[in-house]
Amino acid sequence: MNNTLLELKNISFKYKNNLILNKINLKINHGEKIALLGKSGSGKTTLISVLNGTIKPTQGEVKLFNKSFEELDRKQKSKITTIWQDLRLIEDLSAEQNVNCGLLAENNFYFAFKNLLNISSFKKAHKYMQLCRLHNSIFEKKIRKLSGGQKQRVAIARSLIQGSNILLADEPFNNLDPKLITTIKNLLLENVDKNNTKQSSKTALVALHRLDLLNDFDKVIGIRDGKIFFNIKRTNLKKLHLDKIY
Amino acid sequence: MNKLKLNYTSLSFLPILVCIPLGYQLITNIHFGGFKLFQEFLISAFNPKIDNEIIFTVINRLNETIVIGFFSWLVSIIFGAIFGILSSNIFYKILNIPNFFYGIVRSFLTMVRSIHEVVWGILLMQIYGINFSVGIIAICIPYIAVNSKVFAEQLETIEYKSFESINQINAPKFSSLLTLIWNPIINTFKNFGLYRLECSIRSTVILGLFGIGGIGTSIFLSFQTLNFRELWTYLWSLAILIILSGLIFKKIKFYTTNKILSIFFIAVFFITILFSFSYFLYFIFNINFENFNSVSSLFKSSSDLGLFDFLKLISETIILSLLSTGIAISLPPLVIGIFNNNTSKIFIKIFAFLLRLIPTPVVLLTLLTFNNPSISLAALTLGLHNAGITSKLLFSNLDSQDKRNYIAMKSLGISKKTSWLLGIFSQQSKSYLAYCAYRSDIIIRETAIVGVIGSVGLGWQLQESLSSFAWQEVTIVLIAYCSIAIVGELINGKIKNSLT
Ligand SMILES: Nc1ncnc2c1ncn2[C@@H]1O[C@H](COP(=O)(O)OP(=O)(O)OP(=O)(O)O)[C@@H](O)[C@H]1O
Ligand SMILES: [Mg+2]
Repeated sequence: MNNTLLELKNISFKYKNNLILNKINLKINHGEKIALLGKSGSGKTTLISVLNGTIKPTQGEVKLFNKSFEELDRKQKSKITTIWQDLRLIEDLSAEQNVNCGLLAENNFYFAFKNLLNISSFKKAHKYMQLCRLHNSIFEKKIRKLSGGQKQRVAIARSLIQGSNILLADEPFNNLDPKLITTIKNLLLENVDKNNTKQSSKTALVALHRLDLLNDFDKVIGIRDGKIFFNIKRTNLKKLHLDKIY
Repeated sequence: MNKLKLNYTSLSFLPILVCIPLGYQLITNIHFGGFKLFQEFLISAFNPKIDNEIIFTVINRLNETIVIGFFSWLVSIIFGAIFGILSSNIFYKILNIPNFFYGIVRSFLTMVRSIHEVVWGILLMQIYGINFSVGIIAICIPYIAVNSKVFAEQLETIEYKSFESINQINAPKFSSLLTLIWNPIINTFKNFGLYRLECSIRSTVILGLFGIGGIGTSIFLSFQTLNFRELWTYLWSLAILIILSGLIFKKIKFYTTNKILSIFFIAVFFITILFSFSYFLYFIFNINFENFNSVSSLFKSSSDLGLFDFLKLISETIILSLLSTGIAISLPPLVIGIFNNNTSKIFIKIFAFLLRLIPTPVVLLTLLTFNNPSISLAALTLGLHNAGITSKLLFSNLDSQDKRNYIAMKSLGISKKTSWLLGIFSQQSKSYLAYCAYRSDIIIRETAIVGVIGSVGLGWQLQESLSSFAWQEVTIVLIAYCSIAIVGELINGKIKNSLT
């Protein structure tokens, strides 16, 4: 059975004359939890943008469910959700309205309209915000008035509420304190509880800088100057690998 | 050391040089026939006619003006928003429409915008006769295009990143579009809406002078019958209306978080759209073809207007715009700089208010009592009116400016005027010039108004051609207007970009 959800074939991306991604080959299989490592400027964000279809590669093919993005319909494309490094929330809308934006794909125009008028139901949004440990008092606040960590969690809640099975997260733990990091990590990777032996069905690729968080991942990808240096099981990761990319 | 350097400050004063040719032409054109009338006009300002009858008329006429002004505002702001969306980048990006259409919509709106509402009014009155709805439509046509530009500019501030992130959610296209444009649209309504209401009331007054009704028509009639006391009653009541509405607008704040209020606004929005559409259809199907018959002459009549005459009219219009812009730019800083004390300031402010208040045609007609019609006279009128507007902005900027440099300079023994120039004005000159560049777009359009009355340029030709039903000439004049305005807008765009 073909297990591959997302596949990059020989991807290169140029910005003007700078080669930012260099001949990348990558398969993301169902249920895999992948950590993406690499120093600042190595191309992590660019890679994620290629994976979710925001950036068209200069060369190579991106396949989602074995099809190119052009061949997929809207519902299929919405199987991917992204947590952006720069969050990309709508600053003038309230926190709960932003979270509700995650529901736009599965609802009609009228829902979008009600959301903006503030007359839609926020029940589901509140549930997800509470899961992210966001307090009631910030639900109705404009994004502009939130702290860094609060914004971060609103973006995470917006992504979780989409209920997509493929998660691309770009440094989602920025601005969070240690306790929150654990909570959020468990939410993102669906580690419902520690003793649960059942493998969660969520597929995730998470770019991060914190090596102490690697334990929850199956695979580790190291990227440097737009090239994949290693793509291995987490249990095989050695110091040698890390020395190569940092 | 004292070399004259071309910086923003000197550039703000240099245009006053237009006064040399202008003054020369004005002096050679003076005649003393109507001096008494002019005197009477001025004196009547302090002695307006007040009795029951006229108060009753004033109230009725103001009502008409408010009704026309309000409805043209409502329709033009709502359709302005719609066309603003249709002429914004984001719309074409989200819906995946080729950029070709973006270009078409934009140029169409630029063309519509380039023709002043008075011109639209005169045209429509010729075709449909005089009635209220003609006034509303005449204002709406250019206003929709002007408003759409403001909305589109706000929509261009949406960050590409927000677009990408909403796009990535893969929502239905219209849901994404609405979510992205919601705030810029609402904010433009809030910040810009009420200002436009004031504008459309002013435009209604101007159109009134050309017979559309309301207080403008009363002003014109009382002027024609030389009833200056009555004239001033109307002018002062208009002043009261504008001051009052200004005060009320300052108090009004919109709370979009209030659900009932939002629903009310949405209802008004859709009702206006529906009503406008049905009215538009009604209007189209009820064209008075008797007036319109003459359109056929478009295909046979050969124009009397020679190429040479035509070029002369165009150059007159351009000169008129340049002269007026010169006055509008340099007069306010010059006057404020020279009479730099608190008492003079109050007088200047009152004078500027009067310049804004009194419609340009009235000013021009008054000036015509002792000066023969000429480009300079029209330019003076238009320039003064716009100086009233630029000085309002300049005053409010100067008043909020940090005074420390100025005080420091004065304490060093530098003269008061020089300290003002170097310590205060020099810091405002750049943004002031940028605003003037924007203003000169409007001046180009307004040349039509003074042209019609002051017998200069294309405006005058338009009136002539219309009254002789020479539609071919009308078309040529309109095209010329469009071209001048569009070229002007392009040049000013470049200037504005270099200033900001
Ligand atoms: N819009 C852009 N225009 C030009 N160059 C860009 C652009 N975006 C990214 N780059 C370049 O591409 C390279 C990779 O950037 P990218 O954002 O993918 O790095 P990153 O690994 O996410 O870094 P960080 O950990 O700091 O977020 C960098 O050298 C960056 O300068
Ligand atoms: Mg990054």
